[in-house]
Amino acid sequence: MYNPLLQIGGSALACPDVTRRRLLKSMMFVTAALALPALPPDAVAAPLSADQKTTLFRLARDIYPHEGFLDDTPYQAVVDAIIVEAEGSPAVADLLSKGLADLEERSQRIYKTNYTAIPKPEEREGVLRSIELTDFFQKIKGGLLMGLYNNKELWPKFGYDGSSWETGGFIDKGFDKIDWF
Amino acid sequence: MSAKFDLNDDSLVVIVGSGAGGGTMANELAQKGVKCVVLEAGKTLSLDDIENDEWAMFSKISWLDKRFSAGGWHGAVNHPGLPAWIVKGLGGSTVHWAGVSIRFQEHEFKMKTTNGEVVGANVIDWPITLAELEPYYDKAELKMGTTGDVTGMPHLPWSADFKVLAEGARRIGYTKMIAGPMSINSVDRDGRPACQQIGFCMQGCKLGAKWSTLYTELPKAVETGNCEIRTNCMVLTIEHDKSGKVTGVVYADADGKQQRQKARVVCVAGNSIESPRLLLNSASNMFPDGLANSSGQVGRNYMTHMTAGVYAVMPGEVHMNRGTAVAGIVRDEAHNDPKRGFVAGYTIEKLALGLGFLSAFLVPGPTGWGRKVSGALEKYKYMSGVWICGEDLPQEQNRIALHPTEKDQYGLPAPVVYKTDHPNDTNMRIHAYQQMEKIYNSLGSTEIYNLPAYPASHNMGTNRMSEKPRDGVLNKWGQSHDIKNLFVSDGSQFSSSGSPNPTLTIVALTIRQAEYLAEEMKRGNV
Repeated sequence: MYNPLLQIGGSALACPDVTRRRLLKSMMFVTAALALPALPPDAVAAPLSADQKTTLFRLARDIYPHEGFLDDTPYQAVVDAIIVEAEGSPAVADLLSKGLADLEERSQRIYKTNYTAIPKPEEREGVLRSIELTDFFQKIKGGLLMGLYNNKELWPKFGYDGSSWETGGFIDKGFDKIDWF
Repeated sequence: MSAKFDLNDDSLVVIVGSGAGGGTMANELAQKGVKCVVLEAGKTLSLDDIENDEWAMFSKISWLDKRFSAGGWHGAVNHPGLPAWIVKGLGGSTVHWAGVSIRFQEHEFKMKTTNGEVVGANVIDWPITLAELEPYYDKAELKMGTTGDVTGMPHLPWSADFKVLAEGARRIGYTKMIAGPMSINSVDRDGRPACQQIGFCMQGCKLGAKWSTLYTELPKAVETGNCEIRTNCMVLTIEHDKSGKVTGVVYADADGKQQRQKARVVCVAGNSIESPRLLLNSASNMFPDGLANSSGQVGRNYMTHMTAGVYAVMPGEVHMNRGTAVAGIVRDEAHNDPKRGFVAGYTIEKLALGLGFLSAFLVPGPTGWGRKVSGALEKYKYMSGVWICGEDLPQEQNRIALHPTEKDQYGLPAPVVYKTDHPNDTNMRIHAYQQMEKIYNSLGSTEIYNLPAYPASHNMGTNRMSEKPRDGVLNKWGQSHDIKNLFVSDGSQFSSSGSPNPTLTIVALTIRQAEYLAEEMKRGNV
């Protein structure tokens, strides 16, 4: 589904009142783009290793953490869909393997261990904040936004009702009931 | 009963767009016996297309053609391809609007007189007054089915969510809490049913209880036999003759083929990005800066309203999604009182978001993730929130410009939408955040999220009316100062944004404009 709200980067349009922060962000997008040279169309994507898949899953749980609230299933579904996509697209496979390599490099440099072995969630979040503007991170985040919060199966857990017109709306179902003040 | 007009018929009024302005213009003219063609860039929609699903409808009805956000607002980073949240489809943005139908206050037509010069802004008075527009506000409310005194239709009942806001407002001393005026039927009226509190107003009302030109003005216009609607027809340029009068439009039809429709009069109603873009894209040897642009103001003074969101976790369950999207408003800050640190005012509007949109907008853009976001979303059913809608000052550099190299799918230069806050906007937004914190604290909530502006659904001012031709594009009838048979019939006419949601005022202006246009045609003046 095309969704411009989930696109990042776009064109770093020159405009007179561009802020410094924006300019820096635009430059980061450019850097991210430069780090991903176009692959020849017949390049064969190396499948992700078991370790890489585990890291991807940890990363997914860390982007929108819901411990004790959501189980692994919806996260795994998002990660699996991205892995399947990578199997058919050398560009996506390259995005994933380079993004994961970058993540591991940062984890080793700062915490002397693999990303998944960093014990504290806030430390892992710190590492992720340093890559949050990359296409790699945004691809996983975009998938999760839809897979967790636009997922009708999960809506009851959040207390969100979804479509109501088929059952006559809420006019006779207590839409005006409030009792705590 | 639909009319079918010849491309060479030069007796027609050609209307570009089918939303609040274009759809209303079509019906007003058709009822008076004036023959018109509506050219709508988007596809035909019907109630069958409408789903109670935020993202599905976003994909189905939004204007997603190539556009660029620019300027100092956060959207230039967070919403780079979506400066505005408006509709491409039959009925235009009346499919998406929430139904809030507030009239401008008297002083909102004369901001220059009221507050004098504001440094850095390009403020003018409207060339019309509230007294002149009042009879047309009455007609607009009767047409749209606006709850309140004119129609005699009661306001909608208070939802639990609005009761929460109203109670907080009461606790900090506010008194102007009201569940209307809304152009949503509270009783069956005009062949449309009463609201069933299904929610999803902004995804298109599945019942047709909310006014939209899609199922009111447009079919009524067609029924007269005086109006033809052509969908999937994107107008590319407006043409003119040697005398400078417009002669018709060139458009791309559903098959992508270019057609030339002749016209006696052209009414542009494509919303405040596309309307000035069309005038700019129609530049010619005679009008090198674009049509109707001797003032240089076409595309400038782009206003979106000063907007913000505030969502908070309540001590008890709210279920904000149960009921109309905008269940009520608070108007205690809508007046003009510079002592607050800003001129003009704002309205606090209850706004329910579903889980899908809240997850995308609570912290918008690439940095919106992490424990803070996910933790808040777990408390969805405890959340209540508002949208702040305040007057946005016109600034010349906030504008619609043509991209020098990027083109859309029709081969036209893509629009670049520049928007930067004036310090007045910033001060007003801070004030609103502070007031909302007091309201939510009074209810025992301490977990409060301040949201920046959404991509704008209220887009105004880019072809503004002005008393003097050098200050704006249109006269007080929405008629081009430069070209007598060229009119603009949408929110781009607004001389200032006011604080009210714009649709009611667009409809009132259009009814008045149609009356004037029909008379002028009868007299042979256009």
